[in-house]
Amino acid sequence: MKISKDKWGQVFDALASDYQMLAPKEDKGEVNFKRVNCFSEVKQGYLNTKLPAKALFFPQHETLFTYQKEGQGITVKNALKVEKTIAFGVRPCDARAFLLLDKVFNNDQYRDPYYCDRRDTTLVIGLACSQVAPTCFCSQMGLSPVSTAGTDLLFIDLGEAYAVEAVTEKGKEFVAKLQGLEELNAEDQVKLETLKNLQTSSSVDISALTEKLDSMFDHPYWDSLHEKCLGCNACTFSCPTCHCFDITEEFRKTEGNRVRSWDSCMAPLFTKHGSGHNPREDKKARWRQRMMHKFNYFVHNNGDIACVGCGRCLKACPVNMDLRQVIDAVNKAELVVK
Amino acid sequence: MVMGEIQESVNLPENQEFQPKIVAFLCNWCSYAGADLAGVSRIQYPATIRTIRIPCSGRINPLYILKAMANGADGVLVSGCHPGDCHYISGNFVARRKFALIKSLLTHVGLEEDRVNFSWVSAAEGGRFAEVVKGVTDRVSALGPNNGVFKVAERRGTDE
Amino acid sequence: MSKVIEEIHAAARQLLEDGKVDVVIGFEKGTLPLKATPCFIRSPQEVEKLIWDETCDNNLANYVRQIKGKKAIVAKGCDTRALVVLMQENQVAREDLYILGVSCNGVINRKKIEAETGEILSAELAEGKISVQGMNGSKEFAFADVKDDTCQSCRYPNPVLEDAHFGDKVETGNQEVPFADVVAMEEKSLLERRAYFQEEMAKCIRCYACRNACPMCYCNECFVDCNSPKWLTGGVDPAENMMFQVGRSLHLAGRCVDCGACVRACPQGVDIRALSRKVTKDCLTMYRHEAGVTLEDPPALNQFSTEDPQGFLVKE
Repeated sequence: MKISKDKWGQVFDALASDYQMLAPKEDKGEVNFKRVNCFSEVKQGYLNTKLPAKALFFPQHETLFTYQKEGQGITVKNALKVEKTIAFGVRPCDARAFLLLDKVFNNDQYRDPYYCDRRDTTLVIGLACSQVAPTCFCSQMGLSPVSTAGTDLLFIDLGEAYAVEAVTEKGKEFVAKLQGLEELNAEDQVKLETLKNLQTSSSVDISALTEKLDSMFDHPYWDSLHEKCLGCNACTFSCPTCHCFDITEEFRKTEGNRVRSWDSCMAPLFTKHGSGHNPREDKKARWRQRMMHKFNYFVHNNGDIACVGCGRCLKACPVNMDLRQVIDAVNKAELVVK
Repeated sequence: MVMGEIQESVNLPENQEFQPKIVAFLCNWCSYAGADLAGVSRIQYPATIRTIRIPCSGRINPLYILKAMANGADGVLVSGCHPGDCHYISGNFVARRKFALIKSLLTHVGLEEDRVNFSWVSAAEGGRFAEVVKGVTDRVSALGPNNGVFKVAERRGTDE
Repeated sequence: MSKVIEEIHAAARQLLEDGKVDVVIGFEKGTLPLKATPCFIRSPQEVEKLIWDETCDNNLANYVRQIKGKKAIVAKGCDTRALVVLMQENQVAREDLYILGVSCNGVINRKKIEAETGEILSAELAEGKISVQGMNGSKEFAFADVKDDTCQSCRYPNPVLEDAHFGDKVETGNQEVPFADVVAMEEKSLLERRAYFQEEMAKCIRCYACRNACPMCYCNECFVDCNSPKWLTGGVDPAENMMFQVGRSLHLAGRCVDCGACVRACPQGVDIRALSRKVTKDCLTMYRHEAGVTLEDPPALNQFSTEDPQGFLVKE
C-alpha cells in the first residue's frame, strides 16, 4: 500500500490536533527531533538527525519526582507526564536502537516507568533511508537501511508517495484507520524492490568480534587506542544506544526534584565512588570499557550487539576516533599467548 | 520538550512595589566595615541587600556572581577596598581586572548593565556605603525582577 | 606542501633515532575526507604517517600534559601560543618539549562545506582550491571561503616559540579593525545581543567537547563537575548553558589563544567564540595583552597595573 505525500500531509496535520507530533525539523542548520504542528515543518531530504531518537523516550534531563516539605511531612509527586505521541521519520538505525534500549529499561527484573510509559504511548513511524552515507554501516550490524525492527509501521519514500508497511499490532491498527491509501502500481513495485535492496557497503565485520573480545581484556592494543581521545561526551550523546545516566538531587531549602540526566562512560568522573576511588581512572580503561560494553558485555547480558551502525559517533568525534577502525584492529589483533 | 526544557520568564505582579533582592559581596577589611559603620551611625539605607562577607575582593570567583543570578538575585553588588589600600596589598588590583572583564562580558551577552555593580568603599565611608546601596537599589528596581539570562526556572536548579 | 612534510618526517625521524624525544605528537590522515587526526609516533619507522595540511585542525597542545617524558609536537601558530601559556602556568616544562613549528595558512571548517554539499564523499586539495563530492552534489571551493572563522582573523599564523621551523612564513593580512566580529556584536542593541546568545545557548547539549578540546581547560575538577558547591545541575536549559559558557570564558580570560578548537569540536555548532573573543578583545584593549605571545608576558589575570581602567564602577 502507499499514500501520496499530499494526502499524508493532510492526515499528519489532522493528527497534530490530537497527538504530540515529533519529527525531524531543521533548526539553525541542524536537523533534530522537535515538536511540529504540521507536515510542512518536517524536514525533507536529509540523511539523519544530528542527535539520536533515544531522547524521545529517554530525555537528556528529566525530573523523576518532586518533593516538598510541608510541616512535619514531605509530599512527593511523580513528575512523569505523558501524552499520546506520534514519532515520525525515525530511521531504521534509531528504531532498532529502541529494541536495544528496551532490554535495559524494560526487562524481567525491572520496568522503568519513565521510559516505558513514553514508549507505550508513542507510535513509531519509521522512514526508510533512500541513500546511505559512507559512514553508515547498519547492514554490517545486522539491520539495513530499510529494516522495520523497532518501528510500528515503516514508510518508504517513493518520490511522490510513501509506501506503507505495518509492522506491529499498534501499527496495523493505525494503518487500518488510515485514509487515502492506494495500491502500489507496477512502477512503484520496481522502485520499492530497488530501495529494499539498499545496503551499506562498509567493510566492518562483527562476526567474530564478541568472541575475540572475550580474550582481549589485558591486550596491549588498549594501551595506544585511547591516546587521542579527549574524554568529552560527544560520541555517547550522539549514540542511539548509549543509555548510561546519573541520578541527582536538585534541592532548594524546602523543596526539590530528583533528576535523571545523560551521563557518559567517557567522562573521567563517571565511575568515581563516594570514597574517592575510581575503578576506571585512566582513559585506557574507559575506552576498553566502551568497546567491551557495546560488543561483548551487552551481547552476553542481552544477546545483541549494542551498536546500530548509524555512524554518528565517528562524525561527531573532534579527533576522528573511528569505531570502524577499532573493530578492524580488534579483529586483526594477535592474541597474546600467556 | 524533547531535548531540553526552555525556562519561562517571570512576570512582575501588578500593584506590588518591587523589592529587589541584591546579593552584596563585601570585603571584610574595608567594605564590610564601611557597611558596619553605616549601621552603627544609624544611616538609613534600603533593606534590599543580603551581605556575604569575603576576605578580599580578589576572592571573587566569577561563578559567585553568576550563581547569585541563577538562584534568583535581581542584582549583585561587589565591593572592596580602594586600589592601593588592600589589606592583602594587591588583592583588589587583581580583582579590578577580573571585574572589568566580568562586567564587560555579562553586558555583552545581554544582561542589563545595572544588575551587576562594583564599587570601592573604605571602612570610613559609612555614608558613602549607604549611598552606593541606595543607587544600586534604585537602578535594579527600575530594571524589574531578574528575567532570566542566567536565572534558572522555578523548581529547577539547586542552591546547594 | 610536500617539501614541508618531508622536512617534518626527517626532523621527527632524527629526533626519535637520537633518543631526544620519546614521542612525536603530530597529525596523520583521518578516516573521513578532509579530516586529519592526532597521532603519537614512537618509532622512527612510523614517521611517514605524519602529514601537514589544511585538514590538521586539532590543537595538539591539549596532549602535552597527559604525555609524560620528552615529546616533540607539530604546532601551528595558535598551538605554540597555547604551549607558551601552559609553560607559564607550569603545566609543561620547556626542556620536555621540542616544538616543530609550522607556519599555517588556516584550517578547513568541514561544517561550512557540508552545509552546501551534504556529507562529504571525497575531496581533493589543490593550490588554494578544494574540489568536493558530497551526498547532495559536487562543488569547488576556494580555500579562503571554507577557512575556519578563527583562521579568517588569525593574528599569529607563525609559531611564536619553536625549536625548528617548517613552511614559509605567512603574512597576516591587513586587518583594518582587529576583532571586527566582536565590534559588530557590540554595536547591536542589548536585546538583540541577548536574543542571539539565548539562541546559541539553546543549541548547547553540554557534552563538554569544547572544554575537553581546549588545551587551557585542564582543571582536575572542572566547576561543572563540582558537587559542593553545586554550581550547575545537568539541566540543558539556556540559562544553565549560559552560565557554563560564560563561566568557562571568564576562566579563560587572558589565557585563551583563540585557536578555535572549541568551535570545531562542538557537535551542535554553537558560536562559542562570540564569548571568548569578547574577553580576548577586552584584554587587548584594556590591558594591551594577548595570551601566549611571549613567554615573559604572563596571562592577563596574573598581572596588574596601578593604572588599570575602572570604568565599570558605580557612579556613587
